[in-house]
Amino acid sequence: MARLALLVWSLGPMLWQLYTSLRPTEALTGELHGAASWTLSHYQQLLQGDPPFLLYLFNSAVVGATSTALTLALAVPCAYGLSRIGRTASRGLSLLVAAAAAFPAVLLFLAMLEVARDWHLANNLLALSLPYAGLCLPLAILLLQASFRDLPLELEEAAVMEGMGLWQRLRWVLLPLMAPAIASASLLIFIFCWNEYPIALTWLSRSDLLTLAPAMARIAGSSVYTIPYGAFAAATVLGSTPLILLMLVFQRQIISGLTQGAIKG
Amino acid sequence: MTTTLTTKGAGLELHRLSRRVQQQTLLDQLTLEVPPGEILALLGPSGCGKSTTLRLIAGLDPASSGEIRLGGAVITHLPPAQRQVAMVFQSYALFPHLSVERNLSLGMELRGVPKSEIARDLDQVLALLQLEELRTRRPAALSGGQRQRVALARALLRKPALFLLDEPMSNLDAQLREDLRGELRTLLRSTGVPVVYVTHDQHEAMGLADRIAVLREGQLQQIGTAEELYNTPTNRFVASFLGNPTINLIDTAELQLGLRPERLELAPAETPIARGWSALEGRLSHREWLGDRVISHVHCPSHGTLKVIGDAGPIADAVQVRWRQDAELRFERESGVLLPLTTRSQ
Repeated sequence: MARLALLVWSLGPMLWQLYTSLRPTEALTGELHGAASWTLSHYQQLLQGDPPFLLYLFNSAVVGATSTALTLALAVPCAYGLSRIGRTASRGLSLLVAAAAAFPAVLLFLAMLEVARDWHLANNLLALSLPYAGLCLPLAILLLQASFRDLPLELEEAAVMEGMGLWQRLRWVLLPLMAPAIASASLLIFIFCWNEYPIALTWLSRSDLLTLAPAMARIAGSSVYTIPYGAFAAATVLGSTPLILLMLVFQRQIISGLTQGAIKG
Repeated sequence: MTTTLTTKGAGLELHRLSRRVQQQTLLDQLTLEVPPGEILALLGPSGCGKSTTLRLIAGLDPASSGEIRLGGAVITHLPPAQRQVAMVFQSYALFPHLSVERNLSLGMELRGVPKSEIARDLDQVLALLQLEELRTRRPAALSGGQRQRVALARALLRKPALFLLDEPMSNLDAQLREDLRGELRTLLRSTGVPVVYVTHDQHEAMGLADRIAVLREGQLQQIGTAEELYNTPTNRFVASFLGNPTINLIDTAELQLGLRPERLELAPAETPIARGWSALEGRLSHREWLGDRVISHVHCPSHGTLKVIGDAGPIADAVQVRWRQDAELRFERESGVLLPLTTRSQ
């Protein structure tokens, strides 16, 4: 019973969105009385819009993928370094990183706008991965550092005795063992980029370059007189489907990554 | 002592090797030699510096001072990869994400060994260690003994000039440990290179090694064959570390006597003492029946309890413990140093 309640609690809103997206507008605004039929019109409207909604998903995927790749490329070596230098030095640096992770990003927007203008980074999808990677980096470093530290030192020393260099050890021994942690870190970064709104809103203005969040905001605010509940719900469903699919694909890695270090294996 | 080493052999030579971390001295001026084909055990309680020594030789930790020579060449400051040293870790440190086969071949591949040679060596070593059936398994699916064999195989494939083993038996159960001792000894011998074997188990050291170096708090106490260490320990520490049951220590007026339990005899109480013998009167307090032998605990007033190998009838009876005086080890009471024979006059 408690499990059922929990399930309703967490799945309820999602199912409600799905339901909303499949109902005609009249049924949603209460103008229609009696039994209403189901409709795919909201989806049609989105997919045939100009530009089509799938383009926003594609833009978001591009930004998410490049940001994730950039973040990992920077965070992995950094986390490795932090986990291998002396304890006192790493504690101090980790504290700084944690402070950076806790810093309210909102305070950076104005400065970042200046940067975007000066360096002509506006309306450039790939440029968006710079602030995204910057914002995700502290958390990614902390996550990966913890799991680097969980790897037994003897494993790396065995690789050293086998004559492997630093990059060989990372490539053949450490990174494969870090796969769960890297998978869960990547997913967190990707979700952040997927959902990010304020920076995308201010850096992008061309409608064919919009990412999901600002695009949805445009749908929601397209008219002063009516709120397009149905279209909005359909956009929500379409926007979260890729994330759900990603989660399902990487489920096992992520779960083992999130619980890593909880118990000594 | 002169700074030049006496031999220019192909073995391992440590010369006044030290490691200090901050204020702490983990290893203090260790000097020893291991000729090719010899198995040297580093023996001592935890924290005695035996693992430190191994890590210094392997190059995993830097030496603070001193010199390491292998095959006549100084390797003190070479990176581990260039030392031609193979190491078997206590945890075996097998790569958990790779099959047995890949565990063994990865290092060779990355070192640029030709494919045909890898395949040949791999088959050879898998056959030698009876691992053929397991070649596709992951380490998690292996038993402790099998993991140890894989770790040994990986070390053998390195074709090292020196073998280092860090408590390779400590993860195995007692029975397996004893069974494997002979096998391991034969295998290590067959390589013909010096072997340094770290253990805290005296039986393992005595059963496996040609010579034993006993360490305590970073200092070498004594180095020699098991027999030398057992019969003529340089000090009380070595005497009590080796031997099971441990040596009996009795305080006399001016020194301390060390009496091995098997050198003691039990006799009826108040038996007259013969020439060249000593004796203590006591009461049998406890008896351990171990099948192949019996350990009697005899409580002697003012000297504590003596362990004697031998049976002596019912508990709580008065007995005499006696021993030949030439079986005594005499230690200086304060320092615990063994007194040489010349001063053995009472």
